Amino acid sequence: MNISTERQSGALIAVAEGRVDGANALEFHEALEAAVSPEDTGMVLDFEGISYISSAGLRVVLLVAKMLQKQNAKMAVCSLSDSIREIFEISGFDKIIPVHGSRAEALAGVGS
Amino acid sequence: MLFLKVNIDGRAESSSYEHLHEMIEAVEAAGEHDGWPPDLAFKVTLVVDELSQNVIDYSCTEGLNDVLVELTTNPDEITVEVIDDGIPFNPLTDSAPPDLTSAIEDRDPGGLGVHFTKTLMDDVQYSRVEGKNRVKITARKPR
Repeated sequence: MNISTERQSGALIAVAEGRVDGANALEFHEALEAAVSPEDTGMVLDFEGISYISSAGLRVVLLVAKMLQKQNAKMAVCSLSDSIREIFEISGFDKIIPVHGSRAEALAGVGS
Repeated sequence: MLFLKVNIDGRAESSSYEHLHEMIEAVEAAGEHDGWPPDLAFKVTLVVDELSQNVIDYSCTEGLNDVLVELTTNPDEITVEVIDDGIPFNPLTDSAPPDLTSAIEDRDPGGLGVHFTKTLMDDVQYSRVEGKNRVKITARKPR
């Protein structure tokens, strides 16, 4: 798994590539936590390159969403594959973390 | 039939997950060989991953445990049994129910793996036989 980050008008964009499961969920969590700065007003987690995620990875997405909420920042996800979108919906995550088709829509959603 | 056996060390979680990864890759390879559609392959792989992870998290004792995955396919369906020799654990009844509705600050991420198993598979059964936990899942292939 690789994670790269960039910023666009106050929002953090994190792009992960590969698989997220029990074997690397901790690494995924540490990388995302380290990427968030207290000044960030929004975050977009781009799933374009993520081919697989299990509940261990979804747990990390939720923990990062909780962290952002504490600093009053908005979080959104974008570019989920059909299968990942389905498990996002089955988890009820789509009700608390907005899901967008593209990065541009997600950035607009978090106010950047 | 495909047999996969992984030795899980309950004292070393991270290495157990790496062994688990090899098992998951073998399930994916079996799916490719058997021509599962990508969506079905994702679901079966995810459920085997979640069930095996539950074994590591709840059923493993303070030592070595064996986790065996038996995969059988026919033209109509895929059957996978996840078998372990850890302490009795029925994921269908012994897991916390998932929290699907709380607000972000209160949301508990537990129980999702079993929720996926029940939601994505056509049939799920648990039995405790000869000191082993056996979870059998069945997924029907699309016609």
